[in-house]
This record gives sequence, C-alpha cells and structure tokens, in this order.
Amino acid sequence: MIKTDVAPTLAGGPTLIPTDMPTTNRPMNMGQSMDDNTSRLDGVAKITGAAKYSSDMLLPNAVFARFVRCPFGAANLETVDDSAARKVPGVIDIEITPKACTYNGQPVGHVVAESPVAVNRALKALKLNWKKDSVKTSIRDTKQVGLLKGNAPDADVTIRAVYSTPVQTHSSLETHGGVVDHKGDKATVYASTQGTFSVRDGFGDALSLKGSDFEVVCEYVGGGFGSKLGGPGKELMLAAKLSQKLKRPAYVMCNRAEEHLDTGNRPSSVTSVWLSLKKDGSVVGGEVMTYGGVGVANGGGGCNVPSGRYTFANVNKSHEDVSFNAGGPRAFRAPGRPQGAFAEELMLDEAAAELGMDPLALKRKLAIDDVYREMLDQGAKLIGWGERKANGSQTSVMRTGFGVGIAGWGSASPGGNAEVVIHPDGSVESRTGTQDIGTGQRTTMGICTADAIGIPLSMVTVQIGRSSLPPGPGSGGSVTSPTTAPTMMNAATQARTKLFEVLARQGGDNAADFTVKDGVVLKRGEKFLSWKDACAKLPADGVMGSASTGDGGKGNSQGVQFVKVVVDCETGIIYPKHVIAIQSCGRVICRKTAESQIIGGVIQGLSYGMFENRILDRNVGAMVNPNLEWYKILGPCEMPHIEPVLWAHGQTGVKALGEPPTIPTAGALACAVFNAIGAPVRHLPLTPDKVLSALEGARS
Amino acid sequence: MNSFAIAQPKSMSEASRIVSDKKYSLVVIKAGGIDLIDHLKEGLIAPDVVVNVRRLQSDKELIKVSEGEIRIDAVATLADIVSSAALRAACPALVQSVENAASPAVRNVASAAGNLLQRPRCWYYRNEQFNCLKKGGATCFAVEGENRYHAIFGDGPCHIVHPSNLAPAFFVTDATVHMVGAEHPSLPIRYLYHMPDKGVRSESNLPPGAVITHITCKPVKASGFYAIKEKQSFDWPVAAAAVALEMDGNTITKATVCAGAVAPIPWELRNVAGALRGVDVSNDAALTKACAAAAVGAKPMTDNAYKAKLLPVAVKRAVLLAAGKKLEVES
Ligand SMILES: Cc1cc2nc3c(=O)[nH]c(=O)nc-3n(C[C@H](O)[C@H](O)[C@H](O)COP(=O)(O)OP(=O)(O)OC[C@H]3O[C@@H](n4cnc5c(N)ncnc54)[C@H](O)[C@@H]3O)c2cc1C
Repeated sequence: MIKTDVAPTLAGGPTLIPTDMPTTNRPMNMGQSMDDNTSRLDGVAKITGAAKYSSDMLLPNAVFARFVRCPFGAANLETVDDSAARKVPGVIDIEITPKACTYNGQPVGHVVAESPVAVNRALKALKLNWKKDSVKTSIRDTKQVGLLKGNAPDADVTIRAVYSTPVQTHSSLETHGGVVDHKGDKATVYASTQGTFSVRDGFGDALSLKGSDFEVVCEYVGGGFGSKLGGPGKELMLAAKLSQKLKRPAYVMCNRAEEHLDTGNRPSSVTSVWLSLKKDGSVVGGEVMTYGGVGVANGGGGCNVPSGRYTFANVNKSHEDVSFNAGGPRAFRAPGRPQGAFAEELMLDEAAAELGMDPLALKRKLAIDDVYREMLDQGAKLIGWGERKANGSQTSVMRTGFGVGIAGWGSASPGGNAEVVIHPDGSVESRTGTQDIGTGQRTTMGICTADAIGIPLSMVTVQIGRSSLPPGPGSGGSVTSPTTAPTMMNAATQARTKLFEVLARQGGDNAADFTVKDGVVLKRGEKFLSWKDACAKLPADGVMGSASTGDGGKGNSQGVQFVKVVVDCETGIIYPKHVIAIQSCGRVICRKTAESQIIGGVIQGLSYGMFENRILDRNVGAMVNPNLEWYKILGPCEMPHIEPVLWAHGQTGVKALGEPPTIPTAGALACAVFNAIGAPVRHLPLTPDKVLSALEGARS
Repeated sequence: MNSFAIAQPKSMSEASRIVSDKKYSLVVIKAGGIDLIDHLKEGLIAPDVVVNVRRLQSDKELIKVSEGEIRIDAVATLADIVSSAALRAACPALVQSVENAASPAVRNVASAAGNLLQRPRCWYYRNEQFNCLKKGGATCFAVEGENRYHAIFGDGPCHIVHPSNLAPAFFVTDATVHMVGAEHPSLPIRYLYHMPDKGVRSESNLPPGAVITHITCKPVKASGFYAIKEKQSFDWPVAAAAVALEMDGNTITKATVCAGAVAPIPWELRNVAGALRGVDVSNDAALTKACAAAAVGAKPMTDNAYKAKLLPVAVKRAVLLAAGKKLEVES
C-alpha cells in the first residue's frame, strides 16, 4: 500500500479517496448510503457453487449437442460419411450440410446425443472429406500498409509510424450457449447472455411460442465482455430447435476451442499515421489511416483514433475494414477503443520524445478538458511520475518506465423498468429482468432499493435475470447501471410512499409526515414503528412501486491510468509493477463492485498489451492456440499493484463504468515500455521478441 | 475420450507386467496424470488400460540426499522436490528447475518420472486437427507455419522442443534413470532421449514395458538452473539452461551446460562448457562472451530467432546461480 498525500475532502476541491485506507473503512458517497461498500450478495453462492449458471443446468432427461465445425480457414466439405458416428452408442441424430466454409470453426451441422461424451465420440467418428483452399489470415495478407506521406507546412516536428494490435478473444469463463427446456406450450431458456430481453425477442418463431409463454433465465452469467449481447445466438437457436423436436431439454454450450473460434473477438487493427506538431506541443495537422481485421465479417472493425480525448487540429481520418479467413468480431468491452488508445498514446509519447517534452506535459496540454488535467495531476503524484527518467537514459539490465493514457466513455441510456414490492412481513423485493454478467448488478440493485427506502440491505431480496421480471437493457455500452440504478431507486421510493399512504390512512395522518431511517419508521421525526411493525399494517399482497427509465448520469465517464513497469533488457520481459487507475463514474453505488470493475479493466488491458493473441496458422488458417495454455492471459505473477481511484469530484447520477477502465491500459503500458527501453514497440502484444528487437533498433 | 480400465498394481514390477501384457492393445502408465489426461482428452491416445502408479514409492523416502548420491523416487512430486531443503543445499539446479514450473497446483501432482517422460507441447502435435509427423502424418506444420515456440537446434524433420525442466538439470548432474521391466535396469539420462531423425513418434528411449522406479544423480552444490518465460505464471520456458560447475575460487575449472526448450531433446552445450573453462564469474564481460557461444550453431526458423538471443542469457544466469551469486533481476 502506498501512502498518498491526498486527503478526502467532502466539499470543494477534487475528492479522492485515499488508497492506503483499508477498503472496508473507506468513506463513500458522502455518507449517503449505509451499505455502499458491501460484498457481493451472491459472492458466497458463486464461490461455493450454489449459484447455478446456465452451463450448470444439467436437467433430467436432457440431450446434448455440439456443432460440427470447419477445421480449416477455407475448405469445401465435399463428402460426409457419418455411418460410424451414427453407431456410437447414445447418438440421437446427426445433421450435416456439405458446403464451402470460409473460417475455422464455421458450423456445418451438429451432433445430438444422450451425453456430452457420446457427442464428442461421434464428432471424432465422423469421416468428413474437406478440400482445403488457400487462406488469408491477417490484414497484412490483403493490405500493404506503409508509412503515410505528408506533413503540415508549419510543423516543427512530424512523426510517422505504423501501429498494430492482434485479435483478442473475449475468453469468458463461462462459454456461450445454454439450455432450452421446451414443454410444448411453455418453455424455459437458460441463457448465458448479456441481454435477457434481447434473447427473448431474438427467438422470433424459433420456439413456436409467444414471448409471454416462455421465460429466459440468466441469474448468473460467467462473463461476456460484449460477446453475449444480442439475440439467442446459434447455440441457443440449435437448442431451441432440438428441444422442440425431441421434446426434451437440450443443452448446447461451446467448449473452449469453439469459444475462441466462433463467438466473436476484438478485431485486429493496423494504424498508419503522421502527426505534425509545433514546438509547444500543439498538433497542427496529421492523417490517420486505420484498418480493422474483421475476419469473415464485413464490418465492425472500427479503431478509435483520434479518440477525441485530445485536441488535434486538422487531422484527417479514414478507415477500412479488411476481411480474411477467420471468425468475425463482436462487441468487446469498449469496441475499437483499446486498439485506438494504444496507437494514440504511444504516438503522442513518440511525438513528445521528438519534441524533447515530458509526455505527461504533452498529454496534459492536449487533453480536451480540465477534468483530465486534474486527474493527470493527481495520478502523477500517486504513481510517482517525478521518478521517471528520460526515455532510454537507463543502462542497467532492469529498467523502470512510466506511461500514461486517458479514457472516456458514455452512451445514452436505452431505458428500462423496475419494481419494488414491500411485503407485510417486512421483506422487500426488488425486481429487474436485467442480468448480472459478473459486474455486481444484483448487489447494486439491492443497495439502490435499501438506500432509497432507508432500510438495511439485509432486508432486501433481489430478483434479476428473468424475462418475466420488468424489462431492462442489455449489458452493453456500460448502460446497465446508469439505466437501472435510478429506475430502481424511483421504484423503491414509490413503494415507500405507498407504505406511508397506508400508514397515513390508518392513523389519519399525512403520508408526508413519515420517513424511514436505519430501518425505523419515523413520524414527524419521532420514532413511530419498527419497520416490521409498520409493514404488518400492509394488505396481504403488500405494496408495489414501479418505475421506468430513471434519470441517468449525464456526460461521459472519464479516466486516466498510469502504469509503471520494470523491463528486463536482456530477456525483453516486462514486469508491470504499479497501476493507478483514476476513474469517474458518477455516483458510486457500491465501492467494492465499482473498484472491481476498474481492477478487472486494468487486468484485461494489461493482458491485451502483453499476451493475448489469436494465432492462426498462416497456411491452413486454423487457430493454433484455441485454449488458455497458448492463448496466454495475464496470470497472478504478472499482477501489479493496481489502485483503483474513484473520482468523486463533480459527480452526480450514475454513469458508465464497465468499459472505460480497459481503454487506456495497453497504451499506457506501451508508453511505459518505451520510456524504459528508449524505443517504441509498436505492435501488440509486447512479447520479449519484439522488446528485444526494439532494443536492438535503439542501440544501432 | 474413450472408455478404459484403470489398473491399480501394488508395485512397479506389477505395473511393468501389466504394461507388457500382450492381451491389451495399448497400456499406459499414469503417475500424476497431468500430461496423460491431456492426451486422453485431446484424443491423442486411446489406451484400453491406464495403470496408476501415483502412490507406488520404490523406497520409503521419496528424496534421499547422501554424500555421493541423490536418489529421487519416480513418484516424488515437483512440490516434494521444491520443498526438500536437503536437496536445495546439495543440488540447487534440481530445485531451481521446477520451483517456478507450471503452477503450484500442477507441481503438487506432477511426478519426477512423468516430468521426464511428458510429451512435447507443440501446438500442432497437441491439436488433433493437424496430422503432423509425430502423429504419423507427412508434414511438420511448424516449418512453414507458426514456429515462434519451436526448436532452434536440430535438423528436423520434427521441430518440437523438449518440455521437461528437470531433464536438463538431471543431465548436468549425471543422472541415471532406474527401471523395472527392462533388460538393462538403468539408463544414463544422456541416453534417455533421441532426436526426431531416430524416430519421430517418440522422444524417449525407454524400452517398451519399462517403468521408472527412481532417478539417481550426483549432488552438485555449484549447480544452477534458469528459465526464461514470456509469462511468469503457468507458462513454459522459451529458453532454459542448467549448469554444473567446478570452481577454483571465482574461476570455473569445469562446466557442464544443458539447455531446455530449444531443441527436441535436452541440448548439451559443449562449446559453452569449453568457453566457460577458466572464466572468472565476477568478470561480466568474459562471462557474457563465453555464454554467447550458446547461440552458435542455432538454426532458427522463421519466427523464433529471438530464442537464440535468449539462450545465452539463460546460460549466464544459470552460471551465476551455480556460482552462488544472487541475480539482480526480477523473477
Ligand atoms: C500449464 C502447464 C505448465 C507446465 N509448465 C511446465 C514447465 O515449465 N516445465 C516442466 O518441466 N513441466 C511443466 N509442466 C508439465 C508438468 O510438469 C508435467 O506434465 C508433469 O511433470 C507430468 O508428470 P505426471 O506425473 O503428471 O505425468 P503423467 O501425466 O502421469 O505421465 C507423463 C508421461 O510419463 C509416463 N510415466 C509417468 N511415470 C512413469 C514411470 N514411473 N515410468 C514410466 N513412464 C512413466 C506416462 O506414461 C506418460 O506418458 C506444465 C504443465 C502444465 C499443465
């Protein structure tokens, strides 16, 4: 734990919560809330296995299915011999349609059987005759991307470079898919999804049922990061078809390899840029050409540079998506942003080096507003930017580097509904059909309800993740909390008012005479009844408050991240040491879940910066690392000390938090490595081979 | 995964009898099972019997350190090796070779013999979609494909790297593998492995039906091991080196050097051993120069030239560890 010289101030001045204070003692929300630092309501259930995810739904009498997939980047399935596979004990049916495939993992049919083992045996017993075709596996297979020509006439310095980022797969712990239990006139769908209602609405006629005759259930979701947005997906569609046909529950979940191949990804990018600056650091012109590597998709490869977070005059941007033989992208936590931020932050550090300027000073100057500047100043203190040495000035084997990047995010709330019921036994139920994809939605909904009513969180039961509950948005674009939190607070306030009305009617008082504090009902400021006794006066079905679309936070959430690394200059290995992640998100509902979002974003960003890479065999187009052994992700030994700093200054409403904390990390990391070794590594991931080559380049 | 029977013998000799029993089509030994289960799951082997030897100690002590000899039971786990203070004092290279290997959970079950006999991690070999040389196919896909983690030494036709960390450490400490069920009950570790041109479907020369009971080696106080890994948690080395030294003060009088993760077998670096003779380990320039010899003769493939840059660093750091120096680097 580091000491900070920043004291928590409640009025005026930037409010930072000191990071050296144990989490449980840290003040939050100016004392507005009683349980704003609670642990997750479902934490114990999750770690003990009591929480049942869709992938845990092994229903009695279920059938299991998996897709038959193309093993190559481009191949024509010419003949199918499934005679041996059909003889595998337990196999129910096999359906395969010969066709020409254009990516590894593309489905051509499925096998359905009595058990997962039988499915796998049948898949192995299939004799498929594939005729391989030539493949393209990267942007560079199609596009020659070189340095751009041009410079602003009044420039003092012009930099020119090409940056690239690899394909990152979402690698959610729970894979894609679910279970459909079709009972003829009713059905239950257990979905691993980021959108309860988009799954419901996306079935169309596939279940031959009206939306009100089936329920989508996703009480627990093992991550999604954008890849589980939208409709049911091909896995649940297959389950729907099979369950209906066989009149049995159908279970279809991807395995890890399928998850890498065919459930979306963050597209690769190549960015070529020239940027002209004046001596004082102002940007006077430039051009950015970006390419997005979208596999077999036709779009979705946007690369967000310039990001709009820095003031650049006269910088033209063009973009092109490039298709090749690989699974296509899906939304991935701040789509287009981390890849853009990587190029932008490193490009600015390179410009600063050319100008002989401190990159922090340059970014401070170019940042579009004073919030960023204040955040940069505070973060610089927390990371110890003063100890930063000039680029490339160190000669020791182990060299320290500092880097910084900034982030911004906000999208409009799509609207949603919530209900709160107060029961005569004093229990309170808050209801929203939205899902908790691991962010803590269940917990924050409970806090919003408890807070608005004035009772302890322990009295609230939260119902989420069911399409029979009030509809709300899909968890994408960081809109879930900004939509559901104010809506839930409104519903709770309304339910409480209804309770007060009952009390007022019974005693001839005014509803406005009542209030609740710490679980006690007060009348005109005096203790009136305990919560339980007050609720006992309610009719048998209690009272319900319902609300739609509360008033979310306005404007973008902003953040800055500082990364400190040590680089072993003999091996090229990077050791992240310390990350300061300052982040605004409007009102913080629950400190722990908010900080977890930030920490998780940083981890995912470092992992992207250092390791993650979908590697396709360049000749046959098959992924050589469709696992979590060679598709490397950050592990415990790489974990730096990550300090999330919630920026409370000037914050009202509930704003975006899911996405922004992963935007600047890889860029800040690359800047830190540049600082340590004196040469930029312009291509992610920052593996030892590239660091060593950059070092050699710097020496020669 | 196909169905198979589990055999639970009472001794290694009984295990070896089951392995040699002709009535089965394929019988395999399972110690910790870390590698074996991977093979079953990926469908790379389909045995009809799996013989569990995990608890079959051949001596009541798993690790015995005496004056002239170290004895490590075949079923001693990597965690047993790491936690033996006597072993660390008598022969640091052995402990250093596995103390950061894999993960604590893997080390708790992975056995010494299993570590020596684990199969390569080559992503073409491990992926059933690629019918590579090692699986009876006609091509080594790494040659024209993705070879960043492949061998920089050897002439093929298969370009795997040997994955065992213990093997190079045992190599420099003159280890011998002891077994039952073989004509010769022992085999020096330098003869345990063969290059792909001597048989591409296997890496070891262990006779069919043989089961390792224990491994013996020399205690070498001046020994060290250093592995360079892209990722410090749960990852495989991209270059590693084991070193055993004889020293006169700070000067090396004799060295044995063996590299890991760079060739299809533990790769002895005799030229480096020669270059190290007479080097004062406190003379950084001289030491660096001698270790640079580690890259001589390397034939990198398209994407793995960096390994030839890393190997001399691994050797140098192993030498420093062997000489009792503290490394001033992160780990
Ligand atoms: C993610 C990960 C990272 C890893 N990183 C490393 C690393 O960095 N360095 C490293 O060295 N290892 C590493 N390992 C590998 C691990 O150490 C080995 O898989 C393990 O040592 C194998 O031991 P086991 O007892 O589980 O072997 P098993 O899986 O039980 O057996 C492996 C092979 O040896 C044979 N066998 C076992 N015992 C005997 C015997 N007594 N006689 C004859 N044959 C026998 C088996 O038949 C089988 O073919 C890693 C593993 C994983 C999963």
